Amino acid sequence: MFKELDPILHSQLRLAVISLLISVKEAEFTFLKEKTNSTAGNLSVQINKLKDAGYIDVTKQFSNNYPQTICKITAKGIDAFEGYVKALQSYMNPNG
Amino acid sequence: MAMEEQKMTEKESLELISKMINKAKNNYHDSGIGPILWGSVITLCSLVTYFQIRFQFKLPFDIWLLTLIAIVPQVLIVAKEKKNNKVRSYDDHIMDAVWMCFGISIFLLIFINANIVKQLNPVFQTYIDVKGTRPEFNYSSFITSFFLLLYGIPTIITGSCRGMKPMLYGGIICWICCIISVYTKIEWDMLLTAFSAICAWLIPGIILWSRYKKMRTTNV
Repeated sequence: MFKELDPILHSQLRLAVISLLISVKEAEFTFLKEKTNSTAGNLSVQINKLKDAGYIDVTKQFSNNYPQTICKITAKGIDAFEGYVKALQSYMNPNG
Repeated sequence: MAMEEQKMTEKESLELISKMINKAKNNYHDSGIGPILWGSVITLCSLVTYFQIRFQFKLPFDIWLLTLIAIVPQVLIVAKEKKNNKVRSYDDHIMDAVWMCFGISIFLLIFINANIVKQLNPVFQTYIDVKGTRPEFNYSSFITSFFLLLYGIPTIITGSCRGMKPMLYGGIICWICCIISVYTKIEWDMLLTAFSAICAWLIPGIILWSRYKKMRTTNV
């Protein structure tokens, strides 16, 4: 039987953000924007959705008088990502 | 169409995950200034010590004090690089811990050796008093071997984790020089130290610096 894909992660930009954050300890908003090639507005909305789901932690601080947003994946986010990948694998290899 | 609204197939999802993980992985950019700084300082200190032994002269200060002074620019470099880095990887965290342990180990080694030498001196003095000649055993000639052993550890770890072959080979050279230094006199040990510092830090640092400069020019 196919596992249901997590709707929070089954979105291109949110999945891209989580995939980036799973590989690093923490990343700045500008890094995520640059790597996902997205607009600041869209990225901000998707980051908030991930934050509300408890998948990422968002810290806002000031560096050289400029606002800085730092994102970090949570343990819940890691579990969700692993579950999502497993579900994908069950779709790709239904007999496996 | 915005990224958010696009429908993804399972295959596209997996491709996106793999693409993003690779993008995050390939984000390592070291300016190489730290390795250049330490490669230069250790090379300079070793060569000056070599010339002091070889040509029997003494500077009015201990040249190795330069390594203490070099900590100041190193701290500034690290602080600046951390501020400029938009991302912090797990590797960065491990590397920081490894080099921090290395720095502390160096100071501990200096402390241990100073105490060993202090305790050995009266033993040697008694030997000289009884035999009338200096003993053949000279503990100081082994100190360099311990340092070279330590130099190799973080260098090899960094070279392996970062996939930086010149640094990996440099670390191995430190260990080869460590073995050689067991059999050589202090003055030659200093040349081995200089050679190790050039191979382990100075050359890899220059390679990293040129890569970093090239990368910045391409990104502008």
